[in-house]
Amino acid sequence: MTQPDYELDVRPIIAKGGEPFGAIMEAVAALAPGQGLRLLAPFKPLPLFHVLAQRGFEPKAREIDNGDWEVTFRPTAGEQNSGAAVSAPVQTVDPNTWPEPAVELDNRGLEPPEPMVRTLEGVEALTSGQTLAALLPREPLFLFEELEARGHLWRGAFDPEGHYRILIRRG
Amino acid sequence: MMHSALSRWTMSYFAAALFFFVGAQVLMVVGYGFPSAAAEAPETLVVVHMITIGWLSLLMCGALFQFLPVLIARPLRGEGLVLPALLCLLAGLVCLLGGFLEVSGAIETGVPLLAWAGVLLPVGFAIAAGVLGGTLWGARLPFPARFVTVGLLSVLATAVLGALFALQLSGRLPALAELDFRTQALPVHIAVGLGGWLSFSAIGVSYRLLPMFMLSPDKERRSSKIVWWAGAIALLLMALAAPLASLFGTPDVTVSARILAVQLGGVSLIFYGADLAFFYRHRKRRAVELNSHAAKGAFLALALSAAMLLTLLASGTLEKHAEALLYLVAFGWLSGLGLSQLYKIVPFLTWLECYGPVMGKKPTPRVQDLVAEPRDRVWFAVYFLSVTVGAAALLAEQPSLFRIATGGTLLASLAIVSELVLARSLKNVPYAQRSPEGAVPPRLFLPRTH
Repeated sequence: MTQPDYELDVRPIIAKGGEPFGAIMEAVAALAPGQGLRLLAPFKPLPLFHVLAQRGFEPKAREIDNGDWEVTFRPTAGEQNSGAAVSAPVQTVDPNTWPEPAVELDNRGLEPPEPMVRTLEGVEALTSGQTLAALLPREPLFLFEELEARGHLWRGAFDPEGHYRILIRRG
Repeated sequence: MMHSALSRWTMSYFAAALFFFVGAQVLMVVGYGFPSAAAEAPETLVVVHMITIGWLSLLMCGALFQFLPVLIARPLRGEGLVLPALLCLLAGLVCLLGGFLEVSGAIETGVPLLAWAGVLLPVGFAIAAGVLGGTLWGARLPFPARFVTVGLLSVLATAVLGALFALQLSGRLPALAELDFRTQALPVHIAVGLGGWLSFSAIGVSYRLLPMFMLSPDKERRSSKIVWWAGAIALLLMALAAPLASLFGTPDVTVSARILAVQLGGVSLIFYGADLAFFYRHRKRRAVELNSHAAKGAFLALALSAAMLLTLLASGTLEKHAEALLYLVAFGWLSGLGLSQLYKIVPFLTWLECYGPVMGKKPTPRVQDLVAEPRDRVWFAVYFLSVTVGAAALLAEQPSLFRIATGGTLLASLAIVSELVLARSLKNVPYAQRSPEGAVPPRLFLPRTH
């Protein structure tokens, strides 16, 4: 028997100036097998479509009152995974064998600690072995510690303009 | 190890610093030290060193232990020495204050307190500067770190001179009694301490913190190079004028070298002002947060101090009004900048310590949610207004008005300290968001035991 869709309204979070991504990923992680997520947001959350597609969810979006959107993410049969199902490549340490980034983030124009928060949110949304590329305003020492503590791999370098480009592979 | 990018003892340094800041102001409010006592009276020296060592130096050390590794992207070398440095500095300061109290006749211990202070304080500063300098050693120094390098050399020079004073005052080294420290070394002790160690380091830190939090371009500018060169040469002239003049037997050179130093210092500050204006004007973040807003008060106090120094020199009244100038530098510029930046650094580090482990996994409050800016706006205004009144009261020789003004700064400081305590204990964060599973609530000022 399939459970009813889990409902999450992120409009109050966004209205308060908050960042709903963490709440959404937490809800996704808590879904029962086969369960869907019904999301209410003040805009069409396009970036989320891509992220949740990686996790085996298919979005269905419709505009409701006042320009708000209701999006239902349903698991596509047999493809849903909680992040552990994708097998890691054998040569995990060699970045040349890493897959192309699943997500590209430009976090340069954000006030600290937002560049780190957004980057980690992106990493947490990946499945094991996937990679994320992010442009950061400076070398992210606190992020390195957090990535290491969480068992993710990364490589990074300054670009010619002095920004830091990092490629992270979820462990 | 988790979170070694967070300096373990920085909050302890900050807590000790704030304790001395509040304590010194309480003494000033009850009329202890200048202007009730003479500027060189031991009572005044108690208050002065509670502010310069207890408050400002501990604050600067704590901030640099956290900030320097981030600045040069290297871990602190000799992290295990950070706590011994703090204990050494605290013990040395207690001895120094006790020694001054003994000279004032208030207490009698029979222990050579000043001599102990003359050993413990230089050792404490040497350990701190050694850890910081060792971390800088061999690294490619980004621009702000070059200011800190000058600051570290300055703190060593200041501490050594201070130790000589203390030993002379203790009477333990009769050979020192021959020397005239007051005219030769005292101006250097003050100028290199406040100008080199505290101001130059603070300027360096501001070159990174302001652009970082206001999202301004922080590429190295030609004007910033002038700030460094003019400032560093001014400090060198100030430090070496007297010894070189006596070496070559030309005492007149001392005065001209010091005047040149003041002029170079002025040039340095003018270009620093231009850089600051650039940061505020070209910021990408439209809304200026309270820490950057309040810092403007400190920058204005710095400009006012420079103008005051030039006016007093031109009118030949520097001797007479030096106390007003030093008060404005210590309370308006250095303490004002310190308080305003603590208001950002403490919530920021607390946020990282507490929510770092769950970042990206669970919803977390914003850093701004740890403080309540609207009510603190008032207290920063009260603080800077009171400092202005206090400096004016000293100039006009109105001791009772000065005490009232000090009451204002004390009240504002207490309010801001309370806000920092609330930030540390996450009391301003709505209860539902305060501790998501996996978050690590911080301790008030001691590191967690892992």
